Amino acid sequence: MQVSSAIRDPLITGGKTMKDVSHDIGRHVENKPTRLWYIAMAISLTVLAFGFYCVCVLLWEGIGMWGLNKTVGWAWDITNFVWWVGIGHAGTLISAILLLFRQRWRMSINRAAEAMTIFAVICAATFPLMHMGRLWLGFYWALPLPNTFGSLWVNFNSPLLWDVFAISTYFIVSLVFWYIGLIPDFATIRDRAVVQGANTRAAIYNALSFGWQGGAKTWMRYESVALILAGLSTPLVLSVHTIVSMDFATSVIPGWHTTIFPPYFVAGAIFSGFAMVLTLLLVTRKVFKLEDYITIYHIEMMNIIIIVTGSIVGIAYITELFISWYSGVEYEGYAFYNRVQGPYAWAYWSMMTCNVISPQLFWIKKIRTSIVATFVLSIVVNIGMWFERFVIIVTSLHRDYLPSSWTMFHPTMYDIGEYLFTFGFFFTAFLLFAKFFPVVNIAEIKSIIKATSEGKQGTSREVDKTTHHS
Amino acid sequence: MKSKKIYWKGIGQLANSTEFVKHAHEEFAQPGPEEDLGHNRRDFLKMMGFGVAAASLAACEAPIRKAIPFVNKPVDFDASIPNYYASSFINGGDYCSIVVKTREGRPIKIDGNALSSVTQGGTSAQVEASVLSLYDNDRLRGPKAGRKRIDWKDLDAQIISKLNEIAGKGGQIRIVSNTILSPSTKAVIEKFKTKYSTTQHIQYDQNSQYGMLKANEESFGTAMIPSYDFSKANTIVGIGADFLSSWGATIANTKQYAKTREVSEDKKEMSRHYQFESILTLTGANADYRTPIKPSQEGALVVQLYNLIASKAGRATVSGGLENNILAKAADELWQNRGKALVVAGSNDKAIQVLVNGINDMLNSYGTTILPHLAVNYRMGDDQAMATFMSDVKGNKIGAVIFYNCNPVYDHPMGEDLGAALKNISLSVSTGFKEEETGALTNYIAPDHHYLESWNDAEPIRNHFSLVQPAITPLFKSRAAQESFLVWAGEAETDYFEFVKQNWQSRFYNGGEFEFQTFWDKCLYDGIYELPVDKTAISFNGNTSAAASAIASNYKSGGVELVIFENGTVGNGSQANNPLLQELPDPITKAVWDNYVTVAPKDAAEISFDESHTKMASISANGKTVKLPVMIQPGQAQGTIGIAIGYGRTKAGKVADGIGANVYPMVSMVNGSLNFVATDVKFEVHYDENYQLAQTQTHNTYMGRQSVIQETNLDKFNDGSFAKERFRPEVNTWKEKSHKIDPEKMTLWKNHEYKNHHWGMSIDLNTCIGCGACVVACNVENNVALVGRQEVINRREMHWLRIDRYYSSDSPADDWKGAEHAAENPEVVFQPMLCQHCNNAPCETVCPVAATTHSTEGLNQMAYNRCIGTRYCANNCPYKVRRFNWFKYHDNKQFADVNTSMNTDLGKMVLNPDVTVRSRGVMEKCTFCVQRIQSGKLNARKERRPMKDGEVVTACQAACSTGAILFGDMNNAESAISKHLKIRPTYADKPYVNDKDSDNPRAYSVLEEINTRPNIFYLAKVRNKDGANV
Amino acid sequence: MAVDKNFLVGIFEDEDVLINAVRSLRMKGIKIHEVYSPFPVHGLEEVLGYTRSRLPIAAFLFGLTGTSLALLMQFWMLGFDWPMIIGGKPYASLPPFIPVTFEFTVLLSALGMVATFLIVSDMKPYRWPRQFDIRSTDDKHVMAIDIDLNGTKSRTDITQLLREAGASEVNEKIFA
Repeated sequence: MQVSSAIRDPLITGGKTMKDVSHDIGRHVENKPTRLWYIAMAISLTVLAFGFYCVCVLLWEGIGMWGLNKTVGWAWDITNFVWWVGIGHAGTLISAILLLFRQRWRMSINRAAEAMTIFAVICAATFPLMHMGRLWLGFYWALPLPNTFGSLWVNFNSPLLWDVFAISTYFIVSLVFWYIGLIPDFATIRDRAVVQGANTRAAIYNALSFGWQGGAKTWMRYESVALILAGLSTPLVLSVHTIVSMDFATSVIPGWHTTIFPPYFVAGAIFSGFAMVLTLLLVTRKVFKLEDYITIYHIEMMNIIIIVTGSIVGIAYITELFISWYSGVEYEGYAFYNRVQGPYAWAYWSMMTCNVISPQLFWIKKIRTSIVATFVLSIVVNIGMWFERFVIIVTSLHRDYLPSSWTMFHPTMYDIGEYLFTFGFFFTAFLLFAKFFPVVNIAEIKSIIKATSEGKQGTSREVDKTTHHS
Repeated sequence: MKSKKIYWKGIGQLANSTEFVKHAHEEFAQPGPEEDLGHNRRDFLKMMGFGVAAASLAACEAPIRKAIPFVNKPVDFDASIPNYYASSFINGGDYCSIVVKTREGRPIKIDGNALSSVTQGGTSAQVEASVLSLYDNDRLRGPKAGRKRIDWKDLDAQIISKLNEIAGKGGQIRIVSNTILSPSTKAVIEKFKTKYSTTQHIQYDQNSQYGMLKANEESFGTAMIPSYDFSKANTIVGIGADFLSSWGATIANTKQYAKTREVSEDKKEMSRHYQFESILTLTGANADYRTPIKPSQEGALVVQLYNLIASKAGRATVSGGLENNILAKAADELWQNRGKALVVAGSNDKAIQVLVNGINDMLNSYGTTILPHLAVNYRMGDDQAMATFMSDVKGNKIGAVIFYNCNPVYDHPMGEDLGAALKNISLSVSTGFKEEETGALTNYIAPDHHYLESWNDAEPIRNHFSLVQPAITPLFKSRAAQESFLVWAGEAETDYFEFVKQNWQSRFYNGGEFEFQTFWDKCLYDGIYELPVDKTAISFNGNTSAAASAIASNYKSGGVELVIFENGTVGNGSQANNPLLQELPDPITKAVWDNYVTVAPKDAAEISFDESHTKMASISANGKTVKLPVMIQPGQAQGTIGIAIGYGRTKAGKVADGIGANVYPMVSMVNGSLNFVATDVKFEVHYDENYQLAQTQTHNTYMGRQSVIQETNLDKFNDGSFAKERFRPEVNTWKEKSHKIDPEKMTLWKNHEYKNHHWGMSIDLNTCIGCGACVVACNVENNVALVGRQEVINRREMHWLRIDRYYSSDSPADDWKGAEHAAENPEVVFQPMLCQHCNNAPCETVCPVAATTHSTEGLNQMAYNRCIGTRYCANNCPYKVRRFNWFKYHDNKQFADVNTSMNTDLGKMVLNPDVTVRSRGVMEKCTFCVQRIQSGKLNARKERRPMKDGEVVTACQAACSTGAILFGDMNNAESAISKHLKIRPTYADKPYVNDKDSDNPRAYSVLEEINTRPNIFYLAKVRNKDGANV
Repeated sequence: MAVDKNFLVGIFEDEDVLINAVRSLRMKGIKIHEVYSPFPVHGLEEVLGYTRSRLPIAAFLFGLTGTSLALLMQFWMLGFDWPMIIGGKPYASLPPFIPVTFEFTVLLSALGMVATFLIVSDMKPYRWPRQFDIRSTDDKHVMAIDIDLNGTKSRTDITQLLREAGASEVNEKIFA
């Protein structure tokens, strides 16, 4: 099949050779980190430390440190959980789905995107853990283990339990997928180390690479593994957010009890995920001087996906409103009236602005291809998606069936602290990754520079025939 | 550690009993800090011993009164099996005949005594809560002289010598008390008087009815207060009388009133209740027609009513009056219902009461709805005598004063002056079981027992007697006040138990077939002894025209008018240090832990007010200024403000001190009696001072949601149109021909069957008056944590059972913005809300660890030790009745002052051993008192018989004086609940199926359309209004 | 006493050249030990005559195990071992069990397959590879030919053939 043509823009610029690729990417692992890196690390560690303090207080004193109450039992905790999971989805999506679709522009970004997935999922997982009244028991009682008093099993009817399985599976599979991708690159770094005579590094990276050698047979097996993992991850990533959405969809609370949640949540996840990938890549790209690998073309591609998913989300919002009126259920009706008009209307309208209106700017090519605009909008989108979850969770709960129980939710320092904790963790982890792991998939890039990089345009067509007759 | 050792040594000595008892007493005499576990544990033994004694007493054996150690286990005493003792709650003039539940010798719960014809098994929030006052950490540990502790011997010696000295030089001696119900105590005081001839006994009441006493004296020749029988009344007119919560014999009133409010297909009659009042009281909230009036209009209104009735009765009218069509309507109906009508006025003004007597006389109420021959003794206080006493004190005319279990320094208008003057009195003694404001200023404190520790008797109604028996040995070095009086009077026999017994022997024991001991044991067992009273005809000869002119001269409307009222929670303030009452939401405002000034919405229009903050205001009346937060109160008469008494304590204890302001000093003497209203009050708002009130409910309307509240009026109910037109949720479907289907008919799965029992509950919104006794009972029974003001502001109160109070709105249900605002003078409906024990419970499905599941008897059960606290169940509960332990509420300094029953060794004695104290981080909720169900089942099994209906009674049902709550087995077709609700299995072929329907025309389940199939059915509210469509 | 194994190592710059080289060498009857590349060269496995990998089958079998295990676990736990009335629903029914079943399937299938892959390709953290040329993970394609297995051809012949096929250089590698 024909996947690339001469007329398409080059994916890799600057006429790189294979050696350049190994060098450009490998050197970040080998050289001392830049000052910028140290500054960034310092900041994220500080944030992490403050967050950790808040977590300790929470665990010591009780969930009462948060602003929750008898009516609003979830607020920032689950909002952040869903938000992080959503962000995570982009990584898998890029590497898995785009791999299945043979979208080669993914190759420069999938490594970082997958790393982001892993860390985002870890961040997400901390919230279901922290929000438990008795974490010290909950973290293993939620697993189907026989307890000491005989058989006391978990409740497989509970969406929350489905979450336990979905999130852990998703985490493990993404981790494996990511690591498999890393193995050949570790080997590359190992051999560079051997050449440079850095023996410890060589040993470490050899261990990391599982003694990779790159024989044709292994490559063959390797590719089918990657393909199958991609094939597994694709339904998995869709299932994860579907199940997360079921936490709400299967309940009886007006505003939660909604059948369109699964597709709507998945679209939202991809939406926010791509925004986050952009935010991170634009920084990485600058910090590690990877302009030749992550080009405007990549950014534009992702912006287009953001327009699409953003519009899907927008349609979902409008559908919700329509159905709440059309269903004729007074509770549904009031729930959405309350979103638009009630005390939390400000949250609803910030959501609408950030998620529905702002992405539409990407229709304009100038904005779509502008680094600055993209960076700003990617952050705006992430804010919007956080508000989406806040609106769904809090404004549905705080005024549900019995007016006698209606309350307001006001966050405390600890609500915010726990959120910062995950940010601190996320960026610390990402910086460590960027320092010690190859941030771009070296092997994959090598496989396409000949086909798609500048200067060798003439041959690309012919190359395509040979490289892609499979 | 050390004290534990002492304790174990104590057990070692048990073998040698008599010596041990002596020894124990000496050791017990050592004053120890309340943390001293030891003496509690030693007590535990004695209580067990006492349990033996009392149990055998009840079993008509020779009475043993000394606590004896637990050497051999008596036949009828088992640890973990509760014992019940009949007794009486007495707090000043407030009375209730009760049954005390003790476990291992500790009183842990109070229920009503059904044998009493006075309170008929009813209780009130104050009564239910009083068990915690027994374990009040701020109780006195022993007698005190000034600030120092002292031995009883020395105390007696010093007091006696002082008394003799004063008596010697003819100095005046006064005994001041609230109304005394106990004949024996009165006899004791007589003995004291005979010893010290200059002694005078003065009674006063915080919430005085002296005006009524005087009025009745003038009208009928005797200064008495009659019994009322609301149950006989078809038309009830209340003028400023909160007779369901603070006026008269509230428990009896409540019971009788509720009888007239029951309606069913068989009983189509229902009383019509008109209420004219300034603040929205509990009584007004239950009225059919409620008219807000200014206090200054009260007199004119009564005159008007008098004239309206008089013109019908052909009697002379009096001058004055005030046009009011609703009053006219009321008058017509009163006249039509002569002999079945009743008019009550709450005013403490003689003039008003004289006219009301006149009205009732014309309506032939005397002998029908008013029973003068059953005079009640609840309010015998004499405002004038008290006033004279005050002036005497100020004039240094008093040599000695003994305050018998009263606290006038706090709760009398002239308290401050009294407090200031006390130091000029050479001998001042207080006998309260707590120090309080008065005791803090007296030379001596001779602490009395708590009533649960003491012997006593009472005569609440003429010839209706009841006994008070201790359910526990005194926790501290207290002594019966009566004994103190006897000692000071130099009596030989100073033992009050003997005194009471002899008193009863001489007064009531009429020989008869069995000897006195048997008679006495019987009385003790029943807790009551009632003699017939023959009706006496009385004739009204009050001077109505004089009263009318007095009203004309005394009632001048002017400026802001203040109403000083007693609320249904802390009442008159004597039990203010009881956190159960502080955290009991006010039935109307739903505020807790706070005192506030209620203001009419129109008046408050300029005060910005929202859930998060309100404003402070300072109020000046009668030369006294207080600063309180403003509470906007729908239904309040424009131009009036209201403040509750019972707050502003300074020496009550950790719990109550510093809450609110004391407004007793704002009460003034008018027309010879205390006047609880004031005109021309200075009321200024401090806009710069924000304040946050703690309320358990902040949204006042039910948004016209008919699947939450269903109501109708009597006509619609009786002509069956309600049954036809009433709201029934329907789901659209293409299947049915009608394209509509009852949601409960739609189910995905085959239902489960409850083969044995199927517990269910019915709650009648018509008879529920919203008093909140059930809430306190539930707290005590189930060890529900109290969380304090700040946590309630954070909306985290733990109550398993709450009473939702909804106001009507003028806007239609579909105007969502408008429906959020209550009407100016709203109709009120109370809805007790607790776990609905849904058969299709949304909470169960979502719990990841199956910590909440359904029992095979229909209970939604919660396994605390399995819960990991995800709170998903609470989120998914449509009724929002699940409560999460946000913090560790037990053994936690943060909550020590608000949750006393879980944070001090003394307080912990009140905990119910059958109910777990929940740990931090778990979810909890109503269990339908599963511990009571289990014990009921065990008893039945022990006796090898099926369970009887009514054998298991939930705490809330037991506490409900109106019988609004009914609990039982819906599988048993003969049970009261099955009959009441006309229970029918949804599928005829499956008698035990969990789906059951009710054929009671008023029955509905809340939020029926989400098909949770609750096991609680509500009976729709019926208002006796004509025409008006509700 | 292991016998020395002698290899001729051809270095190729371009994957297309490499593929043609492999094709021609094999036609000339040269037995190629293995070809090492920095990235997967598509088509190489065919010209080398490798049969398709059977890993997909492994993945499928592991997945199947996951499905059945998950279903068994759930029905046994809630249906037989400890039935509970939860929300009035049946003790055990399929619909609520589907999510967990799916996740478990994916989990086992993925882990199982990857494990198989590592085992069959003899990859473990502590194994140092036998590298014919260090640049094979950087920018060179490396073709290794076991001389002993090509007995009929002489060392020089093979070297010659490699050169003709387009090898930029030909080295000798001896593993003890």
